[in-house]
Amino acid sequence: MSVPVPRGPAVATPPAARVPRRRERGVAGLLLAGPFALLLAGTVLAPVLYALYLSLFTERLAGLGFDGPRQVFTAMGNYAAVLGDRAFHDSLGNVALFALVHIPVMLGAALLLALLLDSAVVRLRQLWSLAVFLPHVVPVVIGGLVWAYLYSPGIGPLAAVLPFDPLSDVGVLPSVVNMATWQWTGYNMVIFYTALQAVPREVVEAARADGAGPVRVALSVKVPMVRPTAFVALVFTVIGSLQLFTEPLVLRGFTGSVTSTWTPSLYVYEAAFIAGDHGRAAAASVLLAVVCAALSALVMRLSARRSG
Amino acid sequence: MALRSRRAVLRASLALGSLTLAGCSSSAAPPGATRVRVWSWLTGMDRYVAAFNASRRDVFVELSVIAAGLSGGYAQQSNAIRGHNAPDVLHVEYQGLPQILLTGGLRELTDDVADLADGYSPAAWRGVRPDGRTWAVPMDLAPMVFYHREDLFDAHGIAVPRTWAEFGSAARAVREVDPAARITTFPLNDGSFFAGMCWQAGDPWWSVDGDAWRVDIAGAGTLRTAAHWQDMIAGDLVAGLVHGSQDWIAAMHEGRLWGLLGASWSVGTLNRSIPQDAGRWAVTTMPTWDGAPANGIQGGTAFGVSAESRVPEAAVEFLRWLSTDPEVPRIGSAFTTPFPAHLPSRQVARDAYRGGYFLGDPVYDVLDEAARRVPDWTWGPNALRVFSTAADRFGPVRTGRATLPDAVRRLQDDAVADLRARGLSVREGRRA
Repeated sequence: MSVPVPRGPAVATPPAARVPRRRERGVAGLLLAGPFALLLAGTVLAPVLYALYLSLFTERLAGLGFDGPRQVFTAMGNYAAVLGDRAFHDSLGNVALFALVHIPVMLGAALLLALLLDSAVVRLRQLWSLAVFLPHVVPVVIGGLVWAYLYSPGIGPLAAVLPFDPLSDVGVLPSVVNMATWQWTGYNMVIFYTALQAVPREVVEAARADGAGPVRVALSVKVPMVRPTAFVALVFTVIGSLQLFTEPLVLRGFTGSVTSTWTPSLYVYEAAFIAGDHGRAAAASVLLAVVCAALSALVMRLSARRSG
Repeated sequence: MALRSRRAVLRASLALGSLTLAGCSSSAAPPGATRVRVWSWLTGMDRYVAAFNASRRDVFVELSVIAAGLSGGYAQQSNAIRGHNAPDVLHVEYQGLPQILLTGGLRELTDDVADLADGYSPAAWRGVRPDGRTWAVPMDLAPMVFYHREDLFDAHGIAVPRTWAEFGSAARAVREVDPAARITTFPLNDGSFFAGMCWQAGDPWWSVDGDAWRVDIAGAGTLRTAAHWQDMIAGDLVAGLVHGSQDWIAAMHEGRLWGLLGASWSVGTLNRSIPQDAGRWAVTTMPTWDGAPANGIQGGTAFGVSAESRVPEAAVEFLRWLSTDPEVPRIGSAFTTPFPAHLPSRQVARDAYRGGYFLGDPVYDVLDEAARRVPDWTWGPNALRVFSTAADRFGPVRTGRATLPDAVRRLQDDAVADLRARGLSVREGRRA
């Protein structure tokens, strides 16, 4: 992450205009970038550095522990503890499964809806897009509670209708996928729709003139042209999936099938705020961030190769 | 539906009320008064604080209502202790006290409140002195009792069980009368509840053994409790509903649940959740193991003073008032059913109790008897984490993929490994 500070004129400026001196422009640039740089440093860089620092230490107690903790340097000890913890492996497995189902279903649905919306046949376009986007406006906790009630046997109708218990060990993963898909489809549909709007009309016209039907136009013309957007949405969704937190946290109040370390983010929360082990929590967060960065880089590279 | 919306309105109006009260109280500090910052999630704390502030000119309490216990309150407090900006008064439950002590954030109060020792229920006083030093001031006590639908038990000629063996046969009888009904629920997601159930069996999960913690979560008493409830769950004799959930409230009201293994504060829960059920429920002491009178405790509040407080005297003054002044239970009786740890205050609460909800024995008599039956118990330095791990371990029990006794044995291993990893001295099993 670098702060974009202009470094003087890169192209020749028109001779008529007054050419500001390098220094002046540098000061103006710094002033303009200042607020962003401060916020970035204060709310992103400093906490990241502090987490890195914390992850190298652990608190040791002695005897009964009533004399309070002592901070001890452990080097990679916390990382080793997290990497060797079965609960952490299980949490990664859970989000991997979640992502495997959620990403294709959600992005597929979002793309399909966007294409439908973009096609000429849809009436009341605004109303449709609003309706699909609406779930994203509902706070995750509120949406989560509503879904949890819908899943609860005895109160909600879903437990009776579904062939499986949505709050059981096997049912809880599809339940979480459903909650997240409900929340995010509209959001990604809007992104896709915006990209589709930018597809040059003459290309579409040309395809039509060549005899392509609406389905063919969608698949062979529109979809390839929004591929870069799809990759950006994919990166966001991959990161969001790895950081899955609120939905399982809400469901945990309704079922024992969601453990306190069900996802990596819950694992971090448990380590920090229930076990009180901030060093291990920091190490797990750093590892999670590394995995996120690696996966994002992978997706970006794939995207570059496909569009290049 | 009406039930639910009324609760929602009640909750909303309570929240609004506390907001406005908090707003008033913070603006009216008398000049020169010592300010004491208090964090708490106790129901009605805003009213106690308002009454205290109205009666004092030298001390002024500023209350911040925080999220309850494991829903965020403990996290917030331990973070504040780490960040050296803890409030002067911290909310601690007996079960969370040793865990907070490990942060080094509490001030020792042994000398400050030594004169109060004789005023409290012994169980409460022991609860704030895990190692023989006093670390907090007791507020209330939460002995467990058995609430039951006296009308239904009567109508069908089923005797209210006095022992756990009778409890099993009563459970069968209830299910025969009404196949949709169960005698009670046994929530597996609530470690604090399970600990309270095991407390009764007389093998404390932790104890201080010289300079080491003794951990005995899989002791004989706990395994006996676990085996009993394993049979009840496997035989489909108990429901699995979560206490306090909407589903549970509906089941309690509609006669799908005939009982509640609850604590003293459940009186308030019943009154608020199902007020239209007045005249149906009765309360009795917990069923016992083979007739030996004993029962556990679930929850209960105390308050500690921050080690870094700059006004510890004023903080202690407020806590002495909160814990022992007769005004407090008088205020509390207006909106809940307090069961103070301080015995003279409990008498005030008993006199102020409106009554009219329960059939049978007066509720304060039963609670008093229950409080007298509480055996020794020490909460460990990782009790809150064990509650959370217990919920994880017990999850598969309902579907039959694990049994309660097995889960309890694993819980013991988890707890011991956790404490050892943090450098504490640990011994396992029962004291020789």
